[in-house]
Amino acid sequence: MRVLVVEDEIKTGQYLKKGLTEHGFMVDVSDRGEDGLHLALTGDYAVIILDVMLPDQDGWSVIAELRRMGKQTPVIFLTARDTLQDRIKGLELGGDDYVVKPFAFSELLARLRTVLRRGPDRQPESIRIADLEIDFHRHKATRNKKRLDLSPKEFLLLWLLARHTGEVLTRTYISEQVWDINFDSDTNVVDVAILRLRKKVDDPSSVKLIHTIRGVGYVLEDRSDHIE
Amino acid sequence: MSSKTDQIILNNKKLFGFSTALSITKRLTILYAVSVFILLAISSVFLDWVLVSDLEKEDHQFLISEIQSLRVLLRENPENINAWREEVERETLASASAFVKYYVRILDEDSQTLVETPGMKEIISPLSFPDPLKIISPTAKGIKKKGHDGRPLLLITALVEPYRYEGKKRFIHIALDMSHEDAIISDYRKKMAIILFCGVILSAIIGFAITKEGLRPLKAIAKAFQGVGPEELQKRIGLTQWPDEVAILAGAFDMMLERLENSFTALSQFSANLAHELRTPINNLRGEAEVALCRARPAQEYRQVLESSLEEYGRLSRMIENLLFLAHADRKDALVRRSLISVHKEVEAIVEFYEAMAEEKAIKVICSGTAALEADPILFRQALSNILSNAFQYTPEGGTITVTIKKLDNSSVCVDIIDTGIGIETKDLPNIFHRFYRSERARIHYPQGTGLGFSIVKSIMDLHGGTVSVKSEPMKGTTVSLKFL
Repeated sequence: MRVLVVEDEIKTGQYLKKGLTEHGFMVDVSDRGEDGLHLALTGDYAVIILDVMLPDQDGWSVIAELRRMGKQTPVIFLTARDTLQDRIKGLELGGDDYVVKPFAFSELLARLRTVLRRGPDRQPESIRIADLEIDFHRHKATRNKKRLDLSPKEFLLLWLLARHTGEVLTRTYISEQVWDINFDSDTNVVDVAILRLRKKVDDPSSVKLIHTIRGVGYVLEDRSDHIE
Repeated sequence: MSSKTDQIILNNKKLFGFSTALSITKRLTILYAVSVFILLAISSVFLDWVLVSDLEKEDHQFLISEIQSLRVLLRENPENINAWREEVERETLASASAFVKYYVRILDEDSQTLVETPGMKEIISPLSFPDPLKIISPTAKGIKKKGHDGRPLLLITALVEPYRYEGKKRFIHIALDMSHEDAIISDYRKKMAIILFCGVILSAIIGFAITKEGLRPLKAIAKAFQGVGPEELQKRIGLTQWPDEVAILAGAFDMMLERLENSFTALSQFSANLAHELRTPINNLRGEAEVALCRARPAQEYRQVLESSLEEYGRLSRMIENLLFLAHADRKDALVRRSLISVHKEVEAIVEFYEAMAEEKAIKVICSGTAALEADPILFRQALSNILSNAFQYTPEGGTITVTIKKLDNSSVCVDIIDTGIGIETKDLPNIFHRFYRSERARIHYPQGTGLGFSIVKSIMDLHGGTVSVKSEPMKGTTVSLKFL
């Protein structure tokens, strides 16, 4: 999948290219609004990551021009402008998401995948990872055929992790998706919740599924077939 | 200094675009001159009127007395025209050289001239005279006319009825030359014009001088204002003796200085705290990176350094986010999107978020009461979350956190969050809303806190026009009350 990054900060552009490439995207970086717009109009990108403050043509006018020319490529704004007015403006101009600097890379990745997933793609009804089975409709999770006793929020948390298996989810993303908490909080509530979930899900089995990525967040994956 | 002040004032004028406004000095000078002009004009018109009417009265009195004496002459010598002539010629010719020049003519009832002052015909014709007076009294009025040679004349006709000659009535025509009076009046008017002109000029000069003198304290206070630089905010100018009017200004300025000084102090305190708070994570980052790079290490060790850095970065990002929130709230440009929320529902949602924590620490959370409220749901949750986060941090295992929702009256709602935690010491209570303030015990108990939580709660309450208050007893617990008005 091809991603266009329009960002004038060279370091930011470089690490975004590196990070996204390592996650399987093909990345083009442009450090000017005009060039970015040209690439966006001519190239076939799955998503565009757009900085607002650019040296020549700012991000607002880039997206406005893009939409005027009839291009509906999803756009994620990436900017240090953090006022609510700016967020609203970004979304009104046709942006699909708005990420404020400083941001966690995994956060951006998660949002990128959310934007790409939008559309006809349906949620699966059940997921199976190693000996963990989750049935969303019946609200049932089993490990090694034994039913897990989970609270509704714990079930939602497990479902979220399982649905994104292999993806690192940040604490912010998790609290937003599970508890609808849209602000950063100082607490380690998510850590505690994961700790408790881990006890219920991983303690009964020798195969550990929930892993901590220190400083980033959490991931649910079956690592039994590769050596740590 | 004065020219410098003027320069500044001039610049300000240009800056604010009110260069059309007249200076106070100019304004007062013009007002002085105009008022003196009006006063002088009114008084000179009045004096003019008095002078003119006095002169007229005098002239009439003179003419009436002349008529009386002619009547006496006619009574005493009813037949003797020569005696009349003699008398008329003597009287009027004598007057020719004096100030009061007048002419007399005596006619019969057929308008036949019997006797007249020589040369009277050439000056004024008998037809110009008015109808005879009915009664000869001091209030009788003559008419003013110009003679043939252009001299102004006052004319009176009198009827001498009782003293007939050959059965015929007599008329007396008497004309007074008024050029002398006119000269007096025009001379007076000239002088008045000069007085008026000089008065206006003089009053403008005096007004200018008075204004300059009167506004001196203003210049002095402006100088005093200029003397207060950013380094001398503790200066107060009201300590000097000022006139009452300027003292108000000095007082207001001092109050402004007081507020400025307070915010300056708060700002520098805030910067110092901010620098201090930044120092710790930056120090960790720098130290770890330096040590890691000192020599080659296995990948696992580099990995640990990066992971540890990420934690610090997260802390820094959160701090920036919180500071930006506070900055927006201070400038009131944080959008408050109010909607009608069920307080109970919002509290439940946040309590659910903390559920895992509550179970882990075996803390009982009790939630009671319901109310509806106009508030921004996200901000409400954030405020509540910050308070609950503190409550969970400082409440030991097995404790209780109670959230009560009370409706005070129609529009105001009070939310109390009561914990059985370690409490806050009395000396720390006034400071807990200060940015970055953290008590000693808080630093030990919860080192990863930022010290911004309560500041954010206060900002959120300010944005909603509400209040937040804290009561606490060490080792017993803390009660935080949010009042939405």
